[in-house]
Amino acid sequence: MSETITKSLSPMPQERLLQLDNVGVHFPTRDGLVKAVNGVSYHVNKGEVLGIVGESGSGKSVTARSIMRLQPKYAINASGTIRYRCKSGEELLINEQDRLGRTMRNLRGNEIGMIFQEPMTALSPVHTIGTQIMRTVMLHRNVSKAEARARAIELLTKVQMPRPNDIVDRFPHHLSGGMRQRAMIALALACDPALLIADEPTTALDVTTEAQILELLKRLQDEMNMAIVFITHNFGVVADIADRVAVMYLGRVVETGTVDEIFYEPKHPYTQALLQSIPRLGRSHGRRLRTIAGMVPDPFNVPTGCSFHPRCMHAVGGICDVQTPEDVVFASGQRARCHFAGQDRQAEAAQ
Amino acid sequence: MTTISKTSVPMHEDHIISVRSARKYFPVQEGWMRRVKGYVKAVDDITFDIRKGETFGLVGESGSGKSSIARLILRAYDLTGGEILFRRADGSVIDVSTLSDRDLRDIRREMQMIFQDPYSSLNPRMTLLDLVGEPLVIHGVGSQGEIRDRVAELLRLVGLRPEYLTRYPHAFSGGQRQRIGIARALALNPSFIAADEAVSALDVSVAAQNINLMQDLQEKFGLTYLFITHDLGMVEHISDRIGVMYLGRLMEVGPTDEMFAKPLHPYTEALLAAVPQPDPRGNRARKRVPLKGEIADAMNIPTGCPFHPRCAYADAKCRGEVPELRVVKSGRQVRCHHAETLDLIGVAAE
Repeated sequence: MSETITKSLSPMPQERLLQLDNVGVHFPTRDGLVKAVNGVSYHVNKGEVLGIVGESGSGKSVTARSIMRLQPKYAINASGTIRYRCKSGEELLINEQDRLGRTMRNLRGNEIGMIFQEPMTALSPVHTIGTQIMRTVMLHRNVSKAEARARAIELLTKVQMPRPNDIVDRFPHHLSGGMRQRAMIALALACDPALLIADEPTTALDVTTEAQILELLKRLQDEMNMAIVFITHNFGVVADIADRVAVMYLGRVVETGTVDEIFYEPKHPYTQALLQSIPRLGRSHGRRLRTIAGMVPDPFNVPTGCSFHPRCMHAVGGICDVQTPEDVVFASGQRARCHFAGQDRQAEAAQ
Repeated sequence: MTTISKTSVPMHEDHIISVRSARKYFPVQEGWMRRVKGYVKAVDDITFDIRKGETFGLVGESGSGKSSIARLILRAYDLTGGEILFRRADGSVIDVSTLSDRDLRDIRREMQMIFQDPYSSLNPRMTLLDLVGEPLVIHGVGSQGEIRDRVAELLRLVGLRPEYLTRYPHAFSGGQRQRIGIARALALNPSFIAADEAVSALDVSVAAQNINLMQDLQEKFGLTYLFITHDLGMVEHISDRIGVMYLGRLMEVGPTDEMFAKPLHPYTEALLAAVPQPDPRGNRARKRVPLKGEIADAMNIPTGCPFHPRCAYADAKCRGEVPELRVVKSGRQVRCHHAETLDLIGVAAE
């Protein structure tokens, strides 16, 4: 990994593990250009859990996949930089790497691990759990087959798989959903990655299994001092696991802050509205749910100005529908991409 | 039309559905002779009533049998044992499980279903007019022109534009498709609708819109809902009463507020504790202890109480004796030997 950063970028702070600046990913389709990701910036520090929330189509998964360079071939990396600090301390410009090249192959699995929503499609159905873990270990580490197998069993034990000595020789279809998810986590952790990208890892699970997996991820993150990018649409899950949160809407990050800031002092109208539209246990019975008017616009016709303005209850004509808002940065570091962030819009609207 | 046998206890006047000792066993076959090697007890000795005009929620993990119950009520499955009584709009009571095909068709005008997946439950080759009008055509309600008007009216009811009549489902988003499913279910003016994970596939803001719509329609037409979901926040929001299922059995039945404030069954407590709340400070303070293990294999249901291997309070009695669903307090039933002595924690009301 000898790629050095172009002079124009200021170096990342030492504790910074991953930094995305103004990332754009577009997909040419028969019906036109889809700007799936349209200027996303966020960062992850070492050992930190960044939660990324947003509705479907907000671009949260596409962004995460571009960190691993796992996009389809026809994807256009329209803009921006993705920088990653390797275990050696070097800064690597991911977006300039060949997606099939040696550097990226070395990065995937070894530096950055990834887990997905549906383990049945992410795991190979024709190889045992053990084989799949062993291949990853042997690809990145100079170890014998026996050592790799021992490592596989060790990893399965680490993710609290019941009967690891038996499961190591089982195929994914032998396992329940929760166990498959554990196997996939073991696979992702095989080479002690510094960063784990978790794309909706608990969405397909029952609440009780979800709670088990979240506890497991929290424990592993703590033990291994690993950073996690945790993508979800579930606000409960993100409140449980994240240190900081980025809220995405239509290919942009509309708000970032610490988990407490996002949940107790949301500054962007979209975050505020989303938080009000979820039923909360113990306090919502019989009450009417607040909704967000309309629906997420289709990606071919992204609204002008602030892309949320057609659904925003505080939108001001002549400003929100014309000018694209910039991030408003608060003293605490919280950022909201809204013309009126931090101002009392409700009062204004009432006048 | 079949009337109920004389041995049955008459149905309470306020009840629209009465499920009594319902059982559904699926045979598990083996070998080319298809020898039956055992049964999956998807629904085992389930008894509950649904009151007219209420929303009854059914919750439980996957494989607990909640969808099977909806299918039994609508007779998509045949019962292995027990009976399911339904009060028709004219006040007469019938046993759904013994109806002939012809009578069933008649009864299905009064009970309808909304499905989870708005992508696979709508035929992509049919326009909205065909989709929503299909029940009307099948039941021979009205001429072509009348059907067209009725479909337009139904679309308006669920918040879709009547101009969409000639469009195909692919032109609509998930939330809109779910509304098409709702319009279709409403076409024949049913009194009872079973909604199986009706909003589970939708984004939060869209789910909220559809839940509000379902509540509006309930008020407007006096509908009764059976609302099946694994989302405890949603079920609490919409349901008047809730049944908690585990491994084909009802573990607890009661009014939503009371049950969530103070559950009587350890499984209900565990479920409530497992839900991550959109409240980071609360989550940090709560120190959740996740339920151990996984739901048992439905072919090898544990002896005694089916929940005992995962239950923190289980003792010798739980391992040996199967608890019955019994009334503990007024309006509250629970299937646990120790319901009276346990002091369980729910979710505190604000």
